[in-house]
Amino acid sequence: MSDADGGKGPGELPPERPTGGSGPAGEGGAERRSGSSGRPDGEGRDASSERAGGADAEGRETPDSRRIQGSSDESAKGAHGAGDGAGREEGEAAASSSAQPGTGTGTGTEPGGERTGRQRLAAAVWPPRVTRAQLIVALLLFVLGLGLAIQVRSTSENSSLRGARQEDLVRILDELDDRTKRLEDEKQSLEGQRTELENSSDQAEEARKQTRQKARQLGVLAGTVGARGPGIELTITDPGDSVEADMLLDAVQELRAAGAEAIEVNNVRVVANTYFSDSAGGVSVDGHKISPPYRFQVIGKPKDLEPALNIPGGVVQTLRKEQADASVRASQEIVINALRSAKRPDYARSSAQ
Amino acid sequence: MIAVLGLIVGVVAGFVVRPVVPTIVEPYLPIAVVAALDAVFGGLRAMLDGIFDDKVFVVSFLSNVVVAALIVFLGDKLGVGAQLSTGVVVVLGIRIFSNAAAIRRHVFRA
Repeated sequence: MSDADGGKGPGELPPERPTGGSGPAGEGGAERRSGSSGRPDGEGRDASSERAGGADAEGRETPDSRRIQGSSDESAKGAHGAGDGAGREEGEAAASSSAQPGTGTGTGTEPGGERTGRQRLAAAVWPPRVTRAQLIVALLLFVLGLGLAIQVRSTSENSSLRGARQEDLVRILDELDDRTKRLEDEKQSLEGQRTELENSSDQAEEARKQTRQKARQLGVLAGTVGARGPGIELTITDPGDSVEADMLLDAVQELRAAGAEAIEVNNVRVVANTYFSDSAGGVSVDGHKISPPYRFQVIGKPKDLEPALNIPGGVVQTLRKEQADASVRASQEIVINALRSAKRPDYARSSAQ
Repeated sequence: MIAVLGLIVGVVAGFVVRPVVPTIVEPYLPIAVVAALDAVFGGLRAMLDGIFDDKVFVVSFLSNVVVAALIVFLGDKLGVGAQLSTGVVVVLGIRIFSNAAAIRRHVFRA
């Protein structure tokens, strides 16, 4: 309400005041008027300049406002005397600069009790009156309430995503897409298995077939069966005898992180519980002593494995820093023949049916 | 009184009916609400001052909302939407406080 265009108020306000007449310039009137309109951001100025400007409003509104202004003179004086120091100072300054004649006339002629802001508020609230002003304000406040409610509701919902930035949202969406795709693939393969089981004439034979297939898959991971497939060959030569067990372990971990599915080093199969330890003149893997050059046969996606070893600060660079040399060769056919006997667990039992 | 009822009805309607806001309008709603709040506080103050005019109220309410939304829209187009809406909220907040201070003086005489 107290608008940015309140600035034009002071320009227009003085012209309005003299039009009120040159009647008795009540000191109270001057004080009150300027007390209310002299506040910093000029709500009053805005409103009264609007009144003065609009020809339509002039006839209708002015008498009413005069009455209110006039009638509140005395009470306002009291109120100001009681405490509104700042307003009063401004008020007196304004009073001395421009006389306040208009409102004084109103006081005498118009009936109406002394009304403070508090009384006006009470009068506006009770009893309810259906006037044009009230209805319009009610409509606008309805709109405000509506907007408020909508905003509060929408802010409280989906709060975690609502505050997120655009790039975060894109990333989340991407992840969801990936996950959906993976799950879709899995669903498809499971459905295929189910169909095979259902359609197979010999269901037991089919079940055995699938079980065997699964056993072979798990055997590759456990190292109990041989494996073949595309992959890489990593050869580490160690003329200075500087390669230690942890470097080989780093290499294995890097390979696993890049998706290696089966690993063999110098005819020793590397599986989940393989360990590396230093020993004289070489490294021992699972208790088997191996000596340089170390030849890793790795089955996995060559396009993933090769860069994983060659990244800056990665395995190959670290080894070269240690005066060892590492070479990586991609191959379409890696054969891993080293096996490892399956160890029956002493305590863990399968919880599956 | 009618006005207060209007506000209450509006809030209740917003929560109960759950209207769907068009996506284009959505970013400007919070700013528009703050601007409207500013207008309402200004109107309340004017009423206590005894100079309330419904015409001024309507015009200032609507222009406040439109200008606030326009500033944010422009800011979005210029790529400084977040900063500009912060600025608008700060300015409107200051004005709400100063109006609230005037209202307080009227109501509590302190």
